[in-house]
Amino acid sequence: MSGQIPTGIITAAGARITPDGDRIIHIDHITKVFQERNRKVTAVDGISLDVYRGEIFGLLGPNGAGKSTLIRILTTLIRPTSGTASVGTYNITTEPEKIRSIIGVCPQNSTLDVELSAYDNLEFYGKLENVPDEILPDRIWELLEMSGLSDRAAMKVQTFSGGMRRKLEIVRAFIHKPLILFLDEPTIGLDPEARHEVWQQIAKLNAQNTTIILTTHYMDEAEKLCGRIAFVDRGRLIALDTMENLRKLIPAGDLIEIGVMKMDGRVVDAIRENSLVNAVNVLEQKVTISATNGSSLLPALLGIFERFSLPIISISIRTPSLEDVFIYLTGKKLDSGSEGASAPEPRGRGPS
Amino acid sequence: MIREAGAIFKRDIKKFLNSPFIVIMTLLMPFMYLVVFGNAVGGTISYVPLGVVQEGPPYNYTSLFLSSVPLLSHYSQPDNYPRLFDVTVYPSESDAKNDLALGKLEGVVVFPSEISSDHAVRLYLDSSDSTTPPVIESGVSSVLIQQGAQNPLLVDKIYGDIHYLTFFGVGIIILAIFTSTSFGGGIAIIKDRENGIHEGYLVTPVQRASIILGMISSGTIRAFLAGFTILWIDLLFIGVVVQNIQAFLLVILVILIVCVGVTSLVVAFASRFSVQQEYQSVIAFLNLTMFMTSGAFYPVLAMPGWLRWITVINPEYYGIHALRGILFREQGLNVIGMDLVALLIFSTAMIILGIVTFRRTLE
Repeated sequence: MSGQIPTGIITAAGARITPDGDRIIHIDHITKVFQERNRKVTAVDGISLDVYRGEIFGLLGPNGAGKSTLIRILTTLIRPTSGTASVGTYNITTEPEKIRSIIGVCPQNSTLDVELSAYDNLEFYGKLENVPDEILPDRIWELLEMSGLSDRAAMKVQTFSGGMRRKLEIVRAFIHKPLILFLDEPTIGLDPEARHEVWQQIAKLNAQNTTIILTTHYMDEAEKLCGRIAFVDRGRLIALDTMENLRKLIPAGDLIEIGVMKMDGRVVDAIRENSLVNAVNVLEQKVTISATNGSSLLPALLGIFERFSLPIISISIRTPSLEDVFIYLTGKKLDSGSEGASAPEPRGRGPS
Repeated sequence: MIREAGAIFKRDIKKFLNSPFIVIMTLLMPFMYLVVFGNAVGGTISYVPLGVVQEGPPYNYTSLFLSSVPLLSHYSQPDNYPRLFDVTVYPSESDAKNDLALGKLEGVVVFPSEISSDHAVRLYLDSSDSTTPPVIESGVSSVLIQQGAQNPLLVDKIYGDIHYLTFFGVGIIILAIFTSTSFGGGIAIIKDRENGIHEGYLVTPVQRASIILGMISSGTIRAFLAGFTILWIDLLFIGVVVQNIQAFLLVILVILIVCVGVTSLVVAFASRFSVQQEYQSVIAFLNLTMFMTSGAFYPVLAMPGWLRWITVINPEYYGIHALRGILFREQGLNVIGMDLVALLIFSTAMIILGIVTFRRTLE
């Protein structure tokens, strides 16, 4: 299997989704190396990609893959070791101030001041983001409404649940209506209901013409929200495409499982004759067929079983999940983490 | 039980050894106490500026005057110590007294026109510090005794008797400003950094200068409240007296400027650190050095030369000097103006340092 793992970046031809046609972020061979005592850790390793205006772009990868580091580089919090990138029309190393005024950022670890109320947190940020005083109060109430926190405006954030804090932090990043919104693991540690609400909020913000870049290690989150998805593992870009096209990367196509009472060797031969079938596997009373286009193969399969008068007990067909694609490309599961490569992402260091 | 204790022991030691900066600072602190504290307090008072005048008319130098001046110039106690006085001969009594009032001299000796037991040698002392006057007095009288002079010594403490507690109470105002800023405001800055609150606003267009100026102004208010509270304690319980409303307003002005200076220093430091412990060890060190050399405890005249140089860049020294000038010596802006200028230069330098060194990124 490992011999089939493609090297380099995979982009299926013609798979670009360009809602407005123009790119808003251009990343060109960005590399970030952290010096940790006497050991070097490459957190981001030569990533190049483009993000287009108006899309929800997902950076998907296990913990320590380098997603947050890439986000921190794009949001001007750290400088790349090599390579360049532009956000909007501005260069990340030469025009960081310009970038800061067009982006909104919701970092992975909360940066809310828990000793302040929800309203005060938003007001503080509004002022830092230069939202004019005349419209700031209205804007704050609008955001509180949007996040369903209006009735808690005056309460200190430390009394909020994880989901409420997350929603507050996301709308806070949106207070100045940024062109681009960076969300680093927006639903980490949230319960399913809270995650669902956060997703709705993200979709709402995207509907207001905001380009959104989010990192996640949850497959369902990427599947649900993102137009295009970049697989990142050990600092490298493994694949980048739409959900649909990424699925096509698995040559096996769909998986059909048929449960039977007894099996006949001639049936297997007959199934193999069909050109759509890639492989047939019989294990006791279960036949697993991988096929290029599963649903169009089904009638033919049923015909074969009927011909040999073999009764079918059950039949199921499933498309491979994003997780299957990820496992196929990297040889490991998403939530297992990348061993040894987990890069330290310090908030800051003492004077050196 | 032993196994668990061992685990805790191992963890603590590991963390201890992983922070070499703190290890060094903890070893350096006692040593610094020895050097700074040992030299700043209880040292030998020396090079006291003393004016000598021949009383007139007629303004002819008497033999007592002529023999006393070199003796005073070379006087030291005991013999191998540095000389006690820096003697300046003044042509007239009023010039000398004027310089005494301006704080340029610590004492003025007026020699009488006649050498006899009914003409006193007058000694005027700047009594705003309680340690130096007795030393001057004993120095002058032993020079007189050495010559077998008949004249009595008449001592005039021009600011009356100021108790040590009162003298020290003024220094405490400055200490309160420093501690409230460094342990209140400074640690709050580092906690915000540790909690990632800084990360949140580093991605906004806010500029370094705005961050630093915002922190300094809020810190100044907090520091001022601390200094102002101690001022009232001094006035109500410690015996510090404010003569008039102008003096009171001047005291407020000095406290405010000291607050700006000290807060700027603390913010400039705090914005460099991301670990509370490291910051605290540096602040403890700064506190020791600055407070000891400020003259709050003991006159700067008693410090060795190298330590006196620290006072030149020490904002606390100027603050205390100005406050004592107003409160004890009834001096006005004409005298303490220089202290205020020094404080403003210091504050400006620290604000610029803070802005330039503030880390705008997480690196």
